Amino acid sequence: MRLDIRYRCAFEYGALVHESQNELRACPVSDTRQTLLGYRVTTSPASRVFSFEDYWGTRVDTFGVREPHIYLEVVAEATVETKSTPLLTTSPMFEALRGPAFVEEHWEYLERTPHADWNGKLAAEAQSQIDLTGPEVVSATLGIHRRVGALLSYRPGTTYVGVDVDEVLERGEGVCQDYAHLAVAMCRSVGIPARYVSGYLFTDRDDTGEDVDGDEVVVQTHAWFEAAIPGVGWLALDPTNRQAVGLRHVKIGHGRDYDDVSPLRGTYSGPRNATLEVSVEMRRLAAVTSAQAQQQQ
Amino acid sequence: MTTDLFDGYAPDDFFDEVFTEDASVRPHYEDLVARLRSFTPTELARRERLRDAAFRSAGITFTVYGEDEGVERTFPMDLLPRIIPAAEWSEIEVGLIQRVTALNRFLDDLYVGERAAVRDGIVPAWLLSSSDGFRREAFGVPVPRGARCLVAGIDLVRDAEGTYRVLEDNVRNPSGISYVLENRAAMTRVLPNLFGSLRVRPVDDYGITLLDALRHVAPAAAGDPTVVLLTPGVHNSAYFEHAFLARQMGVELVEGRDLVVDEHVVYMRTTRGLQRVDVIYRRVDDAFLDPVVFRRDSMLGVPGLLAAARAGNVTLANAVGNGVADDKAVYAYVPDLIRYYLGEEPILPNCTTYLRWDDDQRKAVLDRLDQLVVKPVAESGGYGLCIGPAATDAELAKVAEQIEANPRNYIAQEVVSLSRHPTLVDDHLEGRHVDLRPFVLTGEKTTVIPGGLTRVALRRGSLVVNSSQGGGSKDTWVLRDDDAKVDDGDEVT
Repeated sequence: MRLDIRYRCAFEYGALVHESQNELRACPVSDTRQTLLGYRVTTSPASRVFSFEDYWGTRVDTFGVREPHIYLEVVAEATVETKSTPLLTTSPMFEALRGPAFVEEHWEYLERTPHADWNGKLAAEAQSQIDLTGPEVVSATLGIHRRVGALLSYRPGTTYVGVDVDEVLERGEGVCQDYAHLAVAMCRSVGIPARYVSGYLFTDRDDTGEDVDGDEVVVQTHAWFEAAIPGVGWLALDPTNRQAVGLRHVKIGHGRDYDDVSPLRGTYSGPRNATLEVSVEMRRLAAVTSAQAQQQQ
Repeated sequence: MTTDLFDGYAPDDFFDEVFTEDASVRPHYEDLVARLRSFTPTELARRERLRDAAFRSAGITFTVYGEDEGVERTFPMDLLPRIIPAAEWSEIEVGLIQRVTALNRFLDDLYVGERAAVRDGIVPAWLLSSSDGFRREAFGVPVPRGARCLVAGIDLVRDAEGTYRVLEDNVRNPSGISYVLENRAAMTRVLPNLFGSLRVRPVDDYGITLLDALRHVAPAAAGDPTVVLLTPGVHNSAYFEHAFLARQMGVELVEGRDLVVDEHVVYMRTTRGLQRVDVIYRRVDDAFLDPVVFRRDSMLGVPGLLAAARAGNVTLANAVGNGVADDKAVYAYVPDLIRYYLGEEPILPNCTTYLRWDDDQRKAVLDRLDQLVVKPVAESGGYGLCIGPAATDAELAKVAEQIEANPRNYIAQEVVSLSRHPTLVDDHLEGRHVDLRPFVLTGEKTTVIPGGLTRVALRRGSLVVNSSQGGGSKDTWVLRDDDAKVDDGDEVT
């Protein structure tokens, strides 16, 4: 599926601010599931953007605005082509998770991190899924994924990033970041390496993930998770929508948790009070026929 | 009449820097010992007053954390210098250059290279990525010429046989060089005549050498580079040194608020407007350097600084993320890193270290805690250290608990029976344990300042020499090789 994505983030400050310095992570990654066809970032007031790929492989756009301003808008526009991925046909057992080479390679995704720490209750929830599915990694991961969907109900605005995943579990509600963190923490608690994914989803409702009739939606950034399956690779699942990651998911990047791949972080000098408006416009482009594709080449 | 200061002096069972096992004076100390034996008590007291006056006028203080928070006091210099003969020094020097060269290669490989040492199994990936000093945020940030450890302080000790061993590497923000220079300045007033007769190698060109090295790592585009020293400010324990070094180099001493980043270029605010900065000798820790990337609450750093460094518009020295190389668990791999990168055998051996304990090894270590030194891997300055033979049962039990809870965070080392040096205690001399922190600079090439900071444990029997733990210091004299050609500009002080 070919998608145009327009990520827009606008700050309006209570008074003049200056010396704003920022890092943006909004660019879709190119990997086996998707190909980035075009990308550009513009800011207002205008600034020079310096871009690089970070430790996790995510493109970062850095920019600063020194001049006094009361309004700052960042727009990132991307065109991306997503591909379907084949279904998993292997099912390694839990022993494979303990192979020294596998542990060495995935060490960072097994540790506790600030947004993916866990207590006994969370670990027990994860363990109960393995008791049901048996010590088989794909089934156990899918079990955890489904369990997260059952444990939480989607409630926009209930949390902000910074709430402990234990607390999210206690409350039983959250937004997509909470679903992803809960799934990551549950996987890690039983020894399955898992990572947090930031991205976009072409749907008009985060909580259903249903396909839309039209070709345009206005959404927010989305989050899901990936679990490492020995001998296979990363299995990407979207617990908020209780579905596997598919053609309508566009990945920006991954990390140990939200902090490694947060869309925008920065500092400025000026008053604290600011309003923030973030929106993501996504447009499905007409399918390109193979004849047209050849012509384009 | 004179009283011999050395009356009753006993080297005991330690390697003594001045006396051999059969109680004769080592040849390179003969002049000094003869001189001290000629001192009357009045004369000695006069020399002590000279020293105290020299330090007071220089305003040298060192803040000690932990005990009396924020109390400033002097880092006392003992009247007896430590002397290292030329041949001995040249071996140390080669060993230090070798070690720092390997550390620079390793860090560059890790942050901007192919991570070859990890790929080839020299050092495990998990050990590096679990290190507190490893900064993923600095991944891909280049440093011209790979001079990541522009200033390194390598702590050396001598064991019972007198062999120099590396105790730890300091490649983040090693401090102490100001004491080396001030000690020397004071000693030239306390014992002026000895310098000439002994042909002591000078240390006073440190500022020039450091500035040279800093200018050398400037971004290629900078014609006549502007260098500044970035300090956390007057409340930092090493502020004195920051101000001292800025003065020695003749560069601006700035705080975070004095710098600003515009379009990924760093500028210093001056009365004449903004002035471009090319190299920052930063004495601010990684975590506080740039609130966009690291701690958001830091007021000490400069927003956008790391992106500017990444864009190649400014060089930060030392490089961000060096802490992974002086992590005390990674330390154990340095000899292998030397072999791997340089294809050479390490010249300076490590101290025997136990780490990455599997359950059996950890248990064996726990059973011997009363005989070992246990160190937290990420601390410096002697904080959190537990010396088994000197610890109480309660202290040992606490350490055992900490190790059980987090094995990665601790290493254990065999106790090194540190060498001792006669040190003035009231009106006589007693043996006190010493170490040595030479300073190694990497610019166009890697060089070592002759000598370094000799730290002395002032408490009888204490093995901890850190200034933050109540230690003192000695001026360290490296003697010129009599056969060596005297270079111009390297004259005897």
